[in-house]
Amino acid sequence: MERLTQRAVEEALRAGADYADARIVRLSQERLGVRNGALRLADAPEEFGIGVRAMKDGCWGFAAAPGLPAALVEILPGVARRAFKAARDLGSARRRPIQLSEERGHVGEYHTPVEEDPFRIPLSEKIELLRAAEAATHCRSEVVAGESMLSLRREEQWQSSSEGARLHQVLVRVGAHVTATAAANGHVELRSHPAYGGQYLSGGYEHVRRMDLLGAAPRMGEEAVALCHAPTCPAGERTMILGGSQLALQIHESVGHPSEMDRVQGHEIDFAGASFLRPEAKGDLQYGSEHVNLEANCTLEHGLDTRGWDDEGVPSQRWPIVDRGRFVGFFTDREFASAAGETHSRGSSRAEGWYNPPIVRIPNLSLLPGEWDLEALLADTEDGALLVDGIRTWSIDQRRVNFQFTCQAAWEVQGGKPGRLLRAPTYQGRTLDFWRGCDAVCRPDSFEVFGVPNCGKGNPYQIAEMSHGAAPARFRGVTFVGA
Amino acid sequence: MAILSNDHAVELCQDLVSQSPAEETEVTLECTEDRFVRFAHLGPSQSADRERNEVAFRVRVKVDGELREARATCGTIEPDDMRATLERALMLAQYAEPLVDPQRFGGEVEIAPSALERPTQDHTFREKAEWIRTAQEAAHRGGLSSAGLIQTTAMTRTLANSSGRVAHGSQARASFALTAYEDGDSGVTASNEIVHSNVDKLDIQSAIRQTVERAQAARNPEAVDPGEYTVVLMPRAVSALLLGMSYQGLGAQEYHESRSPLCGRVGERIFPDGLCLVDDVHHERSPGIPFDGEGSPTMRTELIRHGAFTGPVTDAHWARRLGLNNTGHGAAQPSPSGPSPRKLVLSPGHQSVEQLIAGVPNGLLVHQFHYTNLMEPREMVFTGMTRGGTFRIEGGRITRPVHNLRFTESLVRALTRVRGIGNQLEIAGSLFGGEVLCPALRVDGFRFTSTTAF
Repeated sequence: MERLTQRAVEEALRAGADYADARIVRLSQERLGVRNGALRLADAPEEFGIGVRAMKDGCWGFAAAPGLPAALVEILPGVARRAFKAARDLGSARRRPIQLSEERGHVGEYHTPVEEDPFRIPLSEKIELLRAAEAATHCRSEVVAGESMLSLRREEQWQSSSEGARLHQVLVRVGAHVTATAAANGHVELRSHPAYGGQYLSGGYEHVRRMDLLGAAPRMGEEAVALCHAPTCPAGERTMILGGSQLALQIHESVGHPSEMDRVQGHEIDFAGASFLRPEAKGDLQYGSEHVNLEANCTLEHGLDTRGWDDEGVPSQRWPIVDRGRFVGFFTDREFASAAGETHSRGSSRAEGWYNPPIVRIPNLSLLPGEWDLEALLADTEDGALLVDGIRTWSIDQRRVNFQFTCQAAWEVQGGKPGRLLRAPTYQGRTLDFWRGCDAVCRPDSFEVFGVPNCGKGNPYQIAEMSHGAAPARFRGVTFVGA
Repeated sequence: MAILSNDHAVELCQDLVSQSPAEETEVTLECTEDRFVRFAHLGPSQSADRERNEVAFRVRVKVDGELREARATCGTIEPDDMRATLERALMLAQYAEPLVDPQRFGGEVEIAPSALERPTQDHTFREKAEWIRTAQEAAHRGGLSSAGLIQTTAMTRTLANSSGRVAHGSQARASFALTAYEDGDSGVTASNEIVHSNVDKLDIQSAIRQTVERAQAARNPEAVDPGEYTVVLMPRAVSALLLGMSYQGLGAQEYHESRSPLCGRVGERIFPDGLCLVDDVHHERSPGIPFDGEGSPTMRTELIRHGAFTGPVTDAHWARRLGLNNTGHGAAQPSPSGPSPRKLVLSPGHQSVEQLIAGVPNGLLVHQFHYTNLMEPREMVFTGMTRGGTFRIEGGRITRPVHNLRFTESLVRALTRVRGIGNQLEIAGSLFGGEVLCPALRVDGFRFTSTTAF
C-alpha cells in the first residue's frame, strides 16, 4: 500500500507537480442503535480509496477515487494527473503562491493503543448491552423514547509525499450512549449518559465497559421525567459551575474554532465563519482569567485526535493556547504556520477520509485542571448559583463572540450542595467576558476527556473528531435567559 | 468515472439482489462526481476533482421462523468488496430482533425519468478560475476582499429489491457562493449563493454585483438594541427557519411521539391564510432524486394549506402505523430516524422585497441567519445569529447598517405573525445542510435577545 501512495506521488510529479502527497485510507465502521425496543440501526460501512494532492506554481489541486488495492493500481495514475491538472488550471487565478513551511519527510508507524479490539467483541454481546440499556430507560410511562447506540471506527491510513514521508497509522475509537426522552407537563426533555450524542474515546471496547450504560439508564429515564416537571431556569445573572461535558463544548466553540488560523485568515468566512482573533493577538490578548490554561495536545491519552502525524505528515505536538489567561497559540497547517509567526506547522491539518483535501482543524484541546475539589467549590459558592451540565443545543456567531447554550439540567446551589432541579438552563455571553469570569477550576481527579465526533467545517462540509478535557469550573456573572 | 449509465446501474443492482441468499434484499447504488474550488482573498485555496460510490445492502433473513433485518454499505463497486458487504449485512441481521408485523419490501413503482445536466458535469476548472477572477476584481474595486465556493456535482441513485422494485434517479447541482468582506476587525460581510441544476443558468455577474454592493452598504454598522422588531427576512434567512422546522416537527415520527408543536393540530388554521408550504422534490427549479430510501416515490406533499397544518410527511412504516398515505420521505432502512421533508417550498406571495420593506415603519432587514439551532422542541424555539448584512428599516426605507443580533424565537409563533410574502422564490440553504425554495417574508414581533459589537 505504501508503494501505491509513492506511485501516486511519482505520477503527480511526472505530470509536472512541484509537490505532491497521497493518502490511501481504509475506513471500517460499525454502528448499532436500539430505539424503543428495536434494533433500528445495524450498519457496517467500509470505504477504501485514494486522495492525491498536487501543487503547481503555488496552487493546490486534489483528486480522489474509490478502489480496493488491485483497482487502485489501475486508477491512481489518472487520479494523480487530475490533481495536477486542477492545480495547473487554477493557478492563473492565484494572486500569490501558497508557500509551505519546512517539514522533513517523516517515516513511521502509529497504532492507537487498544486493550480489546471492539470489532472482535461478539455482535450478540454488543447488541444485548444496547437492548438492556435502552429497555432500562423506560422506567416511567412518560419516557416516550429510549435510545442506546454504539459506534466503532477503525481508520487505517498510508501516506507518502514528494518530500520523502512514508507513514502508516491505524486509529481506533469507540463511542456509546444511552438517552431517555420524556414528554410530560407540556415539555419534552432528555437526559443522556455519559454525554449528549455519546462519549467517544480513542481505544477499544474497554471504554464501553467502563461507561456502565446499563447502570446509568434508569437514572436517565427518571431525570428526563423529573425535568419535565421541574421549573424552567429563570433569567438573570448568576454564578455558574459548569460541568465537564458542557465545558468541553464551550472550549470547542469559543476557544477551538477561533484559534484556527485558516479562519483568522478569512478562508472559512464564506461558510462556517471567521474569527475575532487577529494574528497579533498571540502573546498579547488576555483571553481569560489567570485560572484559565488551555493546551492543545495530539498525544492526549484517549483523545480522538491522538495520532502520530497529521494529514500533511507533521508530527503530533503539545503546545499552549492560553497560558494563565493570555492567548499564546494558534492551530496551523503548513500553509498557515508563517501567519502565526512560526517556522513549522503545529500539525493541525486533517481530512475526512480519502475523499477530502485536508484543512486546519481543532486538535485535542483541554482546560488544564486547577486546585479545587468539587465539593469544596460548591461549599465556597453562594446560594442561588447554578451547577449546569449536559449539552442540549448551542449557537455561536460567525466570529465566535456571541454564544448561547441550552443545557439539559441545572441544580441550584443551596447550602453548598446541588439543590432544586431546573429545566432548560440557557446561558449566553461573549467569549472574552466569559473566560475572564472564570475564578476556579477543579483538580485533576475531576478531569475528564470528552470526544467530539461531529465537528463540521469546510465547504464542502467535512467532519472531524477531536477531544476536549475539562474539570468542572466556576464562572462569575453569567447571563441566563429564560428558555 | 464513478457514474454508471442508467442501464448499467440497474443491471448491477438487480444482479446483486439475485445473488443474495436472504429472504428479502434491497440494493442501493449511489454514484457521485464532484468538482469544486474554494477561494479566499489570494485566489483558489482548495480544489477537488473527485468521485465516489456507495453500495448499500438491506437484507432480511429468517431466524427461528422470524424475519430480522440489517444493512451494510461499501464504497466501491468491486465484486469482492460488494460480496463481503453482503456477508456483513447477513451476519448483522442474525442478531437483530424479529420484525413485528413485517410487510414485504415494496414492489414495482413508476418513477419519472430524470437526466443529468451535461453542462454541469462538464464545467471545467479553467471556467471556475475565470469566475474567481471576476469576483475578486469586483470585490477589489469595491475596497473589499472575497471568498467563496464554486461547485458542480452530478449524482445518481439506483435501487432494486427482491419484490421487483426498480428506481433510478439523477440530480445535478451547480452553485456559486460568494462572501465580500472588509479586512480587519469590522466584521462587515455580505454573502450570496446561487444554485441551479444547469451551471449555464447561474447569473454570476448579478450575484457578484449584489454581494459587493451589499457589503459596501453594510460598512460602519451602528449599535442596535435587542427586542422585538418587525423584520423583513430575505430568502436565506427564511431558509434557516424552514430547515429548522424540517429537522423537527414535520415528520410522522416526531408527530406521533408528541415531540412536534403541531401534534393534534391537523386541520387547524394556525398560520395566516397566505402561508402555503409543500414538500416538492420535483420542483422545476431544483429537481431532486424522486424516491426515498426505500425506493418509494416521493410525492409532492402539502404540509400547510392556507395556514392550516395538513399532516406530516411519512414513509412506509409510519404511513401504515398511522393509517396515512406513504408520501415517500423515508430514510434508508433500518434507521432510527423517522421520515422528514426533503425539499420544502414556501409558496410566493404578491409583494416585491421593496414593497415588503415599504410596509415597515421601524424594523430590520435580515439577509441570513447563522448557526440556527433548536432550543425547545415542543415550542420549536430556535436561536441563531444574523450575518451577511443586517440593516435598519425606518419609515419604509433601509436607512443604515446595524450590528448583528441573536434571535431566540418560536418558529411556530414567528410564522403566525407573517404579514407579507415576497413574490420571488429563491433556492437557499443554511449551515447545517439542506435547501429550500422560499420567498422573503415580513414578520411582526420577531424576538432578538442579544447583540454583538460588529
